[in-house]
Amino acid sequence: MLKAEGICKRYGNQIVLQQANIELDSEIKALIGINGGGKSTFLKIIAGIVREDQGKVYINGRQVNNLPPEQRKIGYVPQYPALFQHLSAEENVLYGARKNREASQDFYEQVTSILGLTEVLRKRPHELSGGYKSRVSLARALLPQPHILLMDEPLSGMDIIIRKKVLPVFRQVLKKIQIPVLYVTHDPEEAELMADSYAAMNYGEIRLVVSAAEAFEAIQNRHGPL
Amino acid sequence: MSKNIIHAFFLPLFLLLIVLPILALVVNLDKEGIQKTIIDPFFWSSVKNTILAAILAAGLALVVSIGFAYYHLFHKQSLVYKMANLFNDLPIALPHTVAGLALLLAFGRKTMGFLGETGAAFTLFAVIIAMFFVSYALAARALISGVDQMEPEVIDVARTLGDNPVQVYFKVVLPLMGEALFSGFVLAFSRSLSEFAAVIMFGGNLPGRTQVLASYVFTKVEVGDLDMAVTAAVFCVALSCLILSMLIVGRHRYAKS
Repeated sequence: MLKAEGICKRYGNQIVLQQANIELDSEIKALIGINGGGKSTFLKIIAGIVREDQGKVYINGRQVNNLPPEQRKIGYVPQYPALFQHLSAEENVLYGARKNREASQDFYEQVTSILGLTEVLRKRPHELSGGYKSRVSLARALLPQPHILLMDEPLSGMDIIIRKKVLPVFRQVLKKIQIPVLYVTHDPEEAELMADSYAAMNYGEIRLVVSAAEAFEAIQNRHGPL
Repeated sequence: MSKNIIHAFFLPLFLLLIVLPILALVVNLDKEGIQKTIIDPFFWSSVKNTILAAILAAGLALVVSIGFAYYHLFHKQSLVYKMANLFNDLPIALPHTVAGLALLLAFGRKTMGFLGETGAAFTLFAVIIAMFFVSYALAARALISGVDQMEPEVIDVARTLGDNPVQVYFKVVLPLMGEALFSGFVLAFSRSLSEFAAVIMFGGNLPGRTQVLASYVFTKVEVGDLDMAVTAAVFCVALSCLILSMLIVGRHRYAKS
């Protein structure tokens, strides 16, 4: 479970996050906002990559503000697959799980099978298509069995045909392993296909909404803080 | 108009100030000088000293640069980084006689040396240290350029997968920096090959022991054996061309891969 409350962040004079709050149980929540609205910064603060100015982050009830990213047990899928180019797809997938490889063997087979990676595991990242790169990126984040998963517009660089093909596969694996997911996007269709619940972010503030459509209405009609 | 001005000054100046001096060496090469030089054991010992010392100096420069690039990537706000960054390019800006004198005072035989009497001066070790002193900044710059080109997301992901910064650096960053590591080594190696002033001040110019190609050429000019000096100089040019070719081929290979 994830709880972030009162998160504030500014870069110089620019306020990026202003008292941003979110709660996440075992669900896929889409965080919808305009580009440059602070969504990625919010995810990076939760992951421990960026330091917040103010606010608290709890993972499974434990405050993690002072923990570095490697101790937070968070899975992170960035905007670009960011695969390790010197490793094969299989080595990428197993990178975070290498310390307990035997224990996670079944999980490894389950994840790679649902994501359809079995045939490409021996390939190098540059030999993979964009869709497969993002699948490897997701599998790599899932293998260490994190408490929560943060996905930062993982399919943003791909065309709609590939996205429509990959999104159900993503949702299938995430539902199967029942991991809480915070899925950042600015695409309404993508949010509808992926998420169980929705939140809108605008000018550094977050508001819960009932549908992707409502979220987009909120962020498009507001030119100031929500 | 501006294009014509560039045509007018670039090519003549380039030919006059860069190409002509190199050609001057090659056209002054003569058979007798070559014969005398290739049977001179001190020439070959200076070649051996130069290559050996330059390889070790470049290797050391690369090791220290790897440490500096780590601070550049993960600890830019630390005092260690700020201090190292301040000193990093200083050896490039200093006259190399000053570098040689500084090394002599720090590690020399006189008691005014910082570390007292080390016995390092006027040995091949001193030659290596002098070469390192003047070439390190080039290797450091190459590595910094390499880490600056890394996708930050790659590092972020590795952190969330359980690696601390040192583990990320050795397992993800350095394996992806092959080109920067190669360039850093070759640049430091070529700079070390060409060093004269710092080497002669700290390492001396002892034929067979600490004499390197640059000081061999200087000695031959000083004693009037110009034909031997030219032969050794052309050998240096050929060696430098070889290294630069390696650099170009290496970069091309990395770019392709």
